[in-house]
Amino acid sequence: MTEWHDAAATDALSDDEVLGLSIAGVPVALFRQEGDFFALHDLCSHGAARLSDGFVENGCVECPLHQGLIDIRSGAPCSAPITEPVRSYPVRVVGDRVEIALDR
Amino acid sequence: MTAIPQGGATYVVVGGGQAAAWIARTLRTEGFTGRLVLIGEEPHWPYERPALSKAFLQGTGSVEAITLLNPTLAEEARVECWLGQRVTAVDRAARIVTTADGRSVAYDTLFLATGGRARRLPGLDSLPSDRVHTLRTLTESERLRGALAGARHLLVLGGGWIGLEVAATARALGVAVTVVEAAPRLCARTMPPVVSDWLHTLHESHGVRMVTGVGVAGVTGTAGGIAVTLADGGRLEADHLLLGIGIEPEVGLAAAMGLALDDGIVVDAQGRTSDPGIFAAGDVARHPNAFAGTSLRLESWANAQNQAIVAARAALGGTGVYAEIPWFWSDQYGVNVQMLGLPGLGTHAVARGTPEAGSGCWLMLDGSGVAVGAVAVNAARDLRVLRKLLEDGRAPLPGAWTDTTTPVQRLPSRPNVGLD
Repeated sequence: MTEWHDAAATDALSDDEVLGLSIAGVPVALFRQEGDFFALHDLCSHGAARLSDGFVENGCVECPLHQGLIDIRSGAPCSAPITEPVRSYPVRVVGDRVEIALDR
Repeated sequence: MTAIPQGGATYVVVGGGQAAAWIARTLRTEGFTGRLVLIGEEPHWPYERPALSKAFLQGTGSVEAITLLNPTLAEEARVECWLGQRVTAVDRAARIVTTADGRSVAYDTLFLATGGRARRLPGLDSLPSDRVHTLRTLTESERLRGALAGARHLLVLGGGWIGLEVAATARALGVAVTVVEAAPRLCARTMPPVVSDWLHTLHESHGVRMVTGVGVAGVTGTAGGIAVTLADGGRLEADHLLLGIGIEPEVGLAAAMGLALDDGIVVDAQGRTSDPGIFAAGDVARHPNAFAGTSLRLESWANAQNQAIVAARAALGGTGVYAEIPWFWSDQYGVNVQMLGLPGLGTHAVARGTPEAGSGCWLMLDGSGVAVGAVAVNAARDLRVLRKLLEDGRAPLPGAWTDTTTPVQRLPSRPNVGLD
C-alpha cells in the first residue's frame, strides 16, 4: 500500500521554485511548475550535488555543480554530463498540503 | 551547423583526461563517421578530476563515478583508446603522430588536450619520494589516500584550491594539517582579501594550522617523515608533504611542433591553434575571453568540458564559439564555494546574506562599479542567476543585491558598466 508523507504547504513555493526537504530521512527536491508539483530524489545522478540548490528553468533543474539538466517531471537526463535518470516520487495535493510517496 | 561525416578521415586526440574525452564523445554525437583515436598517457580511462581531492581521496568515491569513457562507451562510440601511451612526436608536414612504443597513426585533424603537470619544488628529488605527494592524477590520489591512512600530520605547501581541499579532506580523516603559503593570504592569485580571510578562518576553525606570508627555505627528509625549514627560520615536521603549488601546462609536444605558445597553447574562440588543422582545449589551452577582455588559460571542470565541445564541433564545421564567463567551484568541510568571473580584480565586496557565516554571495565590483565577479558560499542558485545576468551584460543594482527578502532572479538590474 502506498504510504503518503506530508511534505509542505501548497503555497510554500512558487512556480519555477524548488524546495529541499527531508522526508522520513530521504532527501527530496520538491518542484512546482505551472501549479503542478513534482518530486525528485535530491541528489544529482552525476555528482554529489543537491538538486534543490539548482536553478529551475523550462521544466528542467540545472545541477548546481556540473550544469547538467534534469527533467523535473520525470527525472530524465536532458543534457551532458548527466546520463542516468534521477528517481522521481509520486506527488499528490490534499487540501492545501503536498504529499509525497517514497515507496516506489 | 552542418556536420560533415568525414567518413574516410582519421581524427586523433592526444590526451586522456576530461577535455580529451569530451572531444571524442562530441565528435561522435555530432556525426563524425571516420576513425577516431584517443591517445592517453595515463593507464586509466578518461575521468573527471574534481573528486580526486575530495570524495575519492576520502575513500567515499569510486572510479566508476568519475569515468567519462569506459570500454563499453568507447566501443559503442567507436573510439580507439590507446591508454598508457606517451606521444613522442607529431610530424605536422606528414600528419603523423608517433608514440613511445613506436606506434604511429596518420591524422587529418589533431586535437591536443594534454592538460598540465603538477609543479614541483626544485631540489626535491633527493627526498624520500614516498613522503612527497602531488595531486593531479587518479594514481596520485590513491597514493595520497594510502599515505593519509597512516599519517598523523600532513604538511601542505601552497594555500591554493588543491592545497585547501586536501587540507579539508585530511582533517575529515582525522589527520593534523599545517598549510604553508608564501603569499600573505590564501588563494591570493584569484581571490579578493575578503574571501582569503574567510577561507583562513574556515580552515583554522577546523583545526588547520595556517602559516601565511612565509616562504620555504628548504625541505629535508627525516627518519620518519619530512622537515621543512621556513624562510623566517621556523621548522615544521610532518609525516607527509603535499605540494599544492599549481600546475604547468603540458606544452612540450606543442612546442616541439612549433605551435604558438603563451603559458599554454594559444587558441582562438573555437579552440583552433596557430595550425588550422590542429585544435587544443582544456587546461592546456589559452583562449580569448570576452568577459575578461584578455586571453585566459582556465584550469576548471567547466572549461575542460565546454571548450572541448566547442573545439570538436568547430572541427566538423561548427560556427559556435567558446564565450563563457570563468566559473568553478570547490568543496571544503561540506561547504560549497562557487566562483564566477574574475573576483580577484574586484576592490569592493557587496555581500548578499552572510557568506562569511556559511550562506551568501559576495558580488565583487571594481573601482568604477563594474561587476567583475562573485563568490558564493552555499548559494549556488544565486551564482547561477548572476551568471546569466553577467552573460547578458547586466549586473544587479548594488543596493538591491543586499536585499535577501527578494529572490535573486527578481532583483532589479542595470547594464554592467562603470557608475559615475
